[in-house]
Amino acid sequence: MFGLIGHSTSFEDAKRKASMLGFDHIADGDLDVWCTAPPQLVENVEVKSATGISIEGSYIDSCFVPEMLSRFKTARRKVLNAMELAQKKGINITALGGFTSIIFENFNLLQHKQIRNTSLEWERFTTGNTHTAWVICKQLEINAPRIGIDLKKATVAVIGATGDIGSAVCRWLINKTGISELLMVARQQEPLALLQKELDGGTITTLDDALPQADIVVWVASMPKTIEIDTDKLKKPCLMIDGGYPKNLDEKFQGENIHVLKGGIVEFFNDIGWNMMELAEMQNPQREMFACFAEAMILEFEKCHTNFSWGRNNISLEKMEFIGAASLKHGFSAIGLDKHPKVLTV
Amino acid sequence: MHNELKITVMQTLESNKKTIEESINPISLDLPDFTTDSYKDAYSRINAIVIEGEQEAHDNYISIATLIPNELEELTKLARMEMKHKKGFTACGRNLGVVADMEFAKKFFSKLHGNFQVALEKGNLTTCLLIQAILIEAFAISAYNVYIRVADPFAKKITEGVVKDEYLHLNYGQEWLKENLSTCKEELMEANKVNLPLIKKMLDEVADDASVLAMDREELMEEFMIAYQDTLMEIGLDNREIARMAMAAIV
Repeated sequence: MFGLIGHSTSFEDAKRKASMLGFDHIADGDLDVWCTAPPQLVENVEVKSATGISIEGSYIDSCFVPEMLSRFKTARRKVLNAMELAQKKGINITALGGFTSIIFENFNLLQHKQIRNTSLEWERFTTGNTHTAWVICKQLEINAPRIGIDLKKATVAVIGATGDIGSAVCRWLINKTGISELLMVARQQEPLALLQKELDGGTITTLDDALPQADIVVWVASMPKTIEIDTDKLKKPCLMIDGGYPKNLDEKFQGENIHVLKGGIVEFFNDIGWNMMELAEMQNPQREMFACFAEAMILEFEKCHTNFSWGRNNISLEKMEFIGAASLKHGFSAIGLDKHPKVLTV
Repeated sequence: MHNELKITVMQTLESNKKTIEESINPISLDLPDFTTDSYKDAYSRINAIVIEGEQEAHDNYISIATLIPNELEELTKLARMEMKHKKGFTACGRNLGVVADMEFAKKFFSKLHGNFQVALEKGNLTTCLLIQAILIEAFAISAYNVYIRVADPFAKKITEGVVKDEYLHLNYGQEWLKENLSTCKEELMEANKVNLPLIKKMLDEVADDASVLAMDREELMEEFMIAYQDTLMEIGLDNREIARMAMAAIV
């Protein structure tokens, strides 16, 4: 069995969904009630791979909402309780979606192995970051030429280069794509210097310097609440891949020949017959999902029951190639600009 | 003309600097000072509740045995275990030099105690099991699980042993209700409507004392809801039924 741990994108949204699902006691509750709500296993689903293999899985809502980020202890409990539920249900491999893996990493939850009478087995969980990184790279390789960007001549900026996904994307771009130049932007300078040394390439720079030079911008940073960018200074055409969480590149901005692509989203070859991605506001909820969720499915299809993506900076090219090949084999593909055209013209 | 790309988002980690700073602090810093007067004062009531709770559990299991005589042996075993727990918790208070406020504790349990006695007299086994094997046990387990994280080393060890036993009791009530669900569901729902709000009130009543012991009200409530939901799920109720039952805790 595979598992997916997800959450709503806002408190209001969560209440609406809870009401739809018949969880009236929390739908009517205020944020304090939600802070005391247990995780919910909301859906079981069967998925059939393009190869014909069938697997079963469950979707668990942790009852976390982003408004809880200011309550560290609450956020920590939501993640750990959802993980405990997944393990108690006997799920082999569970992906930590949305903020779940970010909270796990940033709040150092590895030190909380014991949850009540359950000792969490880390090998049952994956951040899904390897697949997300691979999908973002594929989206870049496939879609840039479509809008007239020649990869061999392209300058690519990775914003959030030192994160788990960001560093993997940099590694792939340098070694696998033949791009002209890689610009690496991150808040912390020390890990950036280490990454540059490891890659033996890439230029360390700032966001302000990188944007006007870049043909392609990969956003994998958790963004500050408001950033203002002068779109007149961006190159045209420009491909922007929104690979972070939340997907916070506002779709309404105006700029000629700027193409924004939702990064790290995949499409399955067949309808899945579940409700959960509708709740995650996918455009084609029967087929589209976060690549990190798809990683848990792929690992279950492959009977690869291990914490495939775990910790920071452990994503190797070999792992990306493995998960990428398996992803294609079982019927997943990265969504492209043709799926969700967002060419914005003034 | 400049076209501004304005990125507005839901909450992010960066917009919550305080959260990150808090998360870096080791958990051990949350431990209270067990020697202060305020700690001991709060402990005198919390400790008494726990001791009285174990006594109630003992008496209730003995009483339940009168309704299902063929379970006498099993229930007597459970009751004995509760007395062992009571001794353990009495030792915890003694270890800190605290005298438990038993008068407070008796009053604390009085309503739930009264409801149990009425159900017992009427022979309403389902109600008795809901009160003892689900509500009181879930209340105890949730409180113990939270307490373990902030207890003094002596009490921590004792409480860890108790929690292991308590999970067995939950299972006991679960099993009976599961087997008899078709005939007892209506009574279960009714009894829940009356008694779950009492648990909520009890939690609220001890919230201030519990917070002196570094036990967070929100965490206590969540732990309770997890134990409660798990039991109802095991009994065979579906998500919607559980949601309807849990509703009684917030109105």
